[in-house]
Amino acid sequence: MTANLNFQPAKEWNSLRGFANLFRKESRAWWGTRRWWVNALLWTGIMGGITGLMLFIMPSMAEASGDPSVEAAGGPLAFGFQLGRSIFFDLGTLVMAIGVVVLCMDMIVEEKHSGLTEWLLSKPIARRSYVLAKICATLLAVLVLVVALPALAAYAMLGLRIGAPYPPIPFLSGVGIMVIHTWFYLTLTIMLGTLFTSRPPILGIAFGMLFGGNLVATLFQPLIYIMPLSLSKVAVLVAEGQALPAGLLWSPLFFTALWSLIFILVAVKKFETTEF
Amino acid sequence: MSQSDTIIIETKNLGKAFGEVQALRGVDLQVPRNSIFGFLGPNGAGKTTTMKILLGLSRPTSGSGTIFGLDIQHESVAIRERIGYLPQQPRFIDYMTARENLEFAARFFFNGPQSRIRARCDEMLELVGLTDKANRPIRGFSGGEKQRLGIGLAQVNYPDLLILDEPASALDPLGRQSVMEIMERLRKHTTVFYSTHILDDVQRVSDTVAILNHGQMVASGPIEQILSGQDGVVYTIVLKDSPDDFATSLSELPWVAHTNFQTQNGLTTWHISVDDESAAESLLLRHILADRRITVTEFRRKKYELEEVFMQIVRGDFNDR
Repeated sequence: MTANLNFQPAKEWNSLRGFANLFRKESRAWWGTRRWWVNALLWTGIMGGITGLMLFIMPSMAEASGDPSVEAAGGPLAFGFQLGRSIFFDLGTLVMAIGVVVLCMDMIVEEKHSGLTEWLLSKPIARRSYVLAKICATLLAVLVLVVALPALAAYAMLGLRIGAPYPPIPFLSGVGIMVIHTWFYLTLTIMLGTLFTSRPPILGIAFGMLFGGNLVATLFQPLIYIMPLSLSKVAVLVAEGQALPAGLLWSPLFFTALWSLIFILVAVKKFETTEF
Repeated sequence: MSQSDTIIIETKNLGKAFGEVQALRGVDLQVPRNSIFGFLGPNGAGKTTTMKILLGLSRPTSGSGTIFGLDIQHESVAIRERIGYLPQQPRFIDYMTARENLEFAARFFFNGPQSRIRARCDEMLELVGLTDKANRPIRGFSGGEKQRLGIGLAQVNYPDLLILDEPASALDPLGRQSVMEIMERLRKHTTVFYSTHILDDVQRVSDTVAILNHGQMVASGPIEQILSGQDGVVYTIVLKDSPDDFATSLSELPWVAHTNFQTQNGLTTWHISVDDESAAESLLLRHILADRRITVTEFRRKKYELEEVFMQIVRGDFNDR
């Protein structure tokens, strides 16, 4: 029609047609609603709260009850510091994974059910843009709200506890491992959203892997080298500055990143062939 | 003028199976440019499936189709650049206002300038009568308002073709009227291909109609042609006294195809199907009135209502004759 001559037509790389607009929509869902501050408070509150509890409250309680591990750690301050750091990197890694599964489980399924996906795909967009925009916008939000803010809070509390800044390199390395672990569960959950049409199988598989993975690994040891099962423990050791055997550090990291890429490819492929 | 200039949608032998279930069987569709094309059929006839295939949301298992002369399977993105679509149950980004939803939809087609995009969204809000609710969150919208916003969203990119799936089905009479008025206003700008159950609306606004039943196209053409019935031309005559040999006298006329009658309250109503329209027009009434025993109280050419034609086609009445 001639009436649209005054417009600049949308020009994008054909393979990623519509990505920019979809990314803006997904980002808006995070940052343009109350969702960002609710999640910021929630995850910082949960992880900061647990870490703070271990750093500041638990040592005095353990000392009062005569727990010998306080003495073994070198006093209440060292005990609390080790406990807080260990809890943040070990339990925190699992909490972040739970958080990301909960936040992403409905992301695709709900839009498929409501008909929003169908409407979006009636626009001139490449289907992969839909999946990639969700992954990119969610990753950004999760990195800030679920990982970075709680990590900042934990870093501040660790420094406060020892009266000096915690060495940044081991801390950031530990956080980096948490990021890769979180990224794995994010891509897994989004992939499952493209494969299934309801929530239970998504939750079952994602949480089954998170909580049951270590059980399976006791039966088949090599799994810990090719799955993210040991990463929460690895994050603790790396944050403590301990040297780890290369196989125990790099192999699960490499394979976790590889799995994440495979999940993205499967999600894109599946979504491109799904009929609505 | 090439065919793709005059025919906007064309499908050939389009078929779709879901496992053992054959949802579409050899659908041949031709939608002329600038028509308001009513796509009718009972629930489960395959209307939405056809629309989804046209939009590239679903793949045909057989046959082929073009829109604007472009292949629906291989050139879907290029087709969708020129289409507006309203799903059966329109969905919106519920954390955005009506204006924000329109701007979001527009940005799939245009990068700017921002002032033009805003102006286009204002035009759409005005077209669908939602200017005063432009900045209200979608959550508070009524069904009718959502439907009208859906039409605005479908029209925001100046589409050459609007595909509307049951645009008025969930609305009250006022809402329906409003949607039909919008469609009539759009007629001069675009081709409208819409599905519906509401036959009164089709008769009012459509110029071309296709009827789908059990996945098969059972009738298609200009609405006047459909309304004339598939029996050909039928005359209805009401007589006060009907002589016993009246049927025989009619059957002697070479252009009378068949007749039937019913008697009620002393009046006999005859339906006379003819296969030569002009001969019947000039000779039928003269022939009847030539018989002095007969008193004619009513004589008219039978006009079908769309609902009547639809029911006959869908129930297979025409096929049984």
